[in-house]
Order: sequence, then C-alpha cells, then structure tokens
Amino acid sequence: MLSSWRCDVSALDFVRYEDPLDILLRFTPTPLRARFRIPAATLFVETNDFSLLPALPLETSSRRIPPASLNWKLVRDPDARGLLQNPVMQLTPQLTVVAMGVACLLAVDHERRELLCFLGPDVDPHTFQEFLVPLLCRLSTQSLENPPSESAPGLNEDRADA
Amino acid sequence: MMEPGGFLSFDLLRRRVMGILSPAAAADPGFWNSRLLPISVGVLGTTLGIAPLHCACLDRHGAGLLVAGNSGAGKSTLTAALAERGFAVVSDDWTYASRLNGTLVAHGLFAPVKLLPDAIRFFPELRDSTPSKTLNGEIAHEIDPSRLLRSQWKASSVPKWLFFLERASMPGCRFLPCPPSHTQQFFELNAEKLPAELPEAARTRSAIIQRLSSCKSWILRTGDDPIRTAAAIDAFLLEV
Repeated sequence: MLSSWRCDVSALDFVRYEDPLDILLRFTPTPLRARFRIPAATLFVETNDFSLLPALPLETSSRRIPPASLNWKLVRDPDARGLLQNPVMQLTPQLTVVAMGVACLLAVDHERRELLCFLGPDVDPHTFQEFLVPLLCRLSTQSLENPPSESAPGLNEDRADA
Repeated sequence: MMEPGGFLSFDLLRRRVMGILSPAAAADPGFWNSRLLPISVGVLGTTLGIAPLHCACLDRHGAGLLVAGNSGAGKSTLTAALAERGFAVVSDDWTYASRLNGTLVAHGLFAPVKLLPDAIRFFPELRDSTPSKTLNGEIAHEIDPSRLLRSQWKASSVPKWLFFLERASMPGCRFLPCPPSHTQQFFELNAEKLPAELPEAARTRSAIIQRLSSCKSWILRTGDDPIRTAAAIDAFLLEV
C-alpha cells in the first residue's frame, strides 16, 4: 500500500491561497522557481511550497536551454486532505492523468510539455522526494521520448466532437 | 462527491472530459443531475460558448426572470416561493447562458433546488424531506420543485427581467431600476477566472454578459419574507 510510505508530517511552509473565483486553483501563485536537470531534459519547476522543490541536480549552466525541456507546476493544496491511495490512470495520446486519491492529482500534457501536480498537506516531504519525484521524472522522460504522434488528434483537431 | 477511485479530469483546451465512475454512480440519475452535469458544464461551459451565471432563472409564459445576488441573499428561498406562485423553474443556483441564432437563452440542468433547513418556516412541505450535505458543503434540503412545490421544470427560457436581490432591515419591497453597467459589472466580477490560453472563451463570455445587460433590471431590496417578496414580484411584473 502506498499509504504505508507515509512519514510524520513536518511543518510545511506553504501559504494558503483562497480565491472564490478560482475554485480549481488554476491561478495559485507558484513563486518558487528553479531549473533542474534529469538525463533526458531540463525541468523548469515552479511551486508554492519549498518542500516540493525536487532533490534533483540543479541546472546551473549558462548554455542555451536544450529543446528537450518540461515545465512542472507543483501546487500544495491545503484542502486536499488524506494519504496517497493506489493510483488510477487515464490516458489519451495528449494527456496522462494520474489520481492517487484526493491527496495527489497529476497530469502531463505531452503536447504542451507541461506537468501539473496538486498535492495535499498530508503528503510529507519524504514521500514526495522518495516516491513522487521518481514517478514525475519517469512520466516526464516518457513524455519526451514518446511525444504524441502528428496524426493523433490534438489541439488543432476538429473540435466538433466536444 | 466521487466514490473512492473515481475521478474526473477536464481538458479545457481540447474540450474533453474523462471520468472513471463506478457502475452505481454511472447509473444514478441523481448523481448526473446534481453533480456530474453541473460540474462539467460549469468547468467546460465557457469553452463551448456557454456562460455559467451565478443566478436563479424562472420562467413565466416563455419570459425568463433571473434572480441574482450575493450568497446568502435568499435566492433559493425566493426561487421556491416564486415556483409556488406558478413560475416554472429553470435553475436555482447556476444558470447557463448561450446565444442561439442571435437570441440569448438561459438554460438549466434540472439540478435540485437547495433550501436551508430554516426554510421549513415558509415551506411546510419540507417536513418530509431530510437535509443532506450539498456540493458546496452546506447542509440543505435538495428538492425537486415539480414534486414538492406547485411548480414544474423548464429546460430553458429567454431572459427578459433581472432582479438583484438585496436584504433590507425595513419591511417592504423596493424595486430600483439599475443600469446595464451594474449587470455587466456584477456578472463579470462573479465569473470564474479563465486561463490566458482561452481568449476566445473569455470574449464569448463577455459578449453574453453584455447581451444580458440589455434585460430590464432592478435592484430588489426586500425586508419581507420570501412568500411576500414573491407576491410583490408577481404584482410588479404585471405592471412593467
């Protein structure tokens, strides 16, 4: 069980964000930003919680950013209470969505090279670093290595099927 | 709302909803009407040319009456009181407006009318109903006006009148004409934020709100109970 990986929750220094016009937390400020390096790419990470900055090598070189890059937006959601549950996935050529209960919902948009992840307060830093960061890296690498084919329906498709 | 393991994801750019539901939830009309459809249209509607508006909508002989106001103003109890006076109910809390061949149309989703437990003072019919936890966490009666009140559902209506409901400390109802700018400002300020990636959706929503602002609009200040207020509205609409 994934939930058994939980450690004691340490004090988290995220700021509660409440805006009645942003029910889905799409505009949660994520002012903490850094560049990291994984074998396949450079990651641009932004978050609203220091403890969600991944323990990965920083990308510090001043060379031009290689084309293989991915944006991660990691949002601590103080209302998403609960522990991680077994993952449930939804897959399309453009999207991979993974839910691990209320406490963790993440999605990778392969076309836009974006990864968005909401994490509840009960997902502690240890669980995040030891379990979730490797998962996010794996999803990112897969996304970069297997981009959606040009023939797959995507953003420019006929939207009559909506 | 969702059973363990079930979840929905909304892809606004590609206008798709994906969901994992249990067979029981998928077969439950109440779940579709009071949860899944309102959420789906609320989240995805703006990308489909539908503007979710925070107001109730009632219909009389094809003419739509919108009732807007801040949370707690009493929109739902007034909606129920108007329903008892013969208005058909299109929607209680959220109305979905779109343009159809140049005409503004307000749609409902047959979502139940929510009445707080103290509404039993005005609607004794509620004594046989059990309050439950609603989508926004409130404890409320969720009623079908066609069963509990002397009313019927209507899927859509063409908005003609618009009231902004405000509570007053003095008894009586006052109808104060309000300019189109008030309507526009109210609905723009109460609309959910949209990502920059959806400029067309934002433009469409603004155009719908602008169109809505051409309805005859009043600020309704009432110190009366919902039954009396509904009677005052009824009488007022016969004169305008």
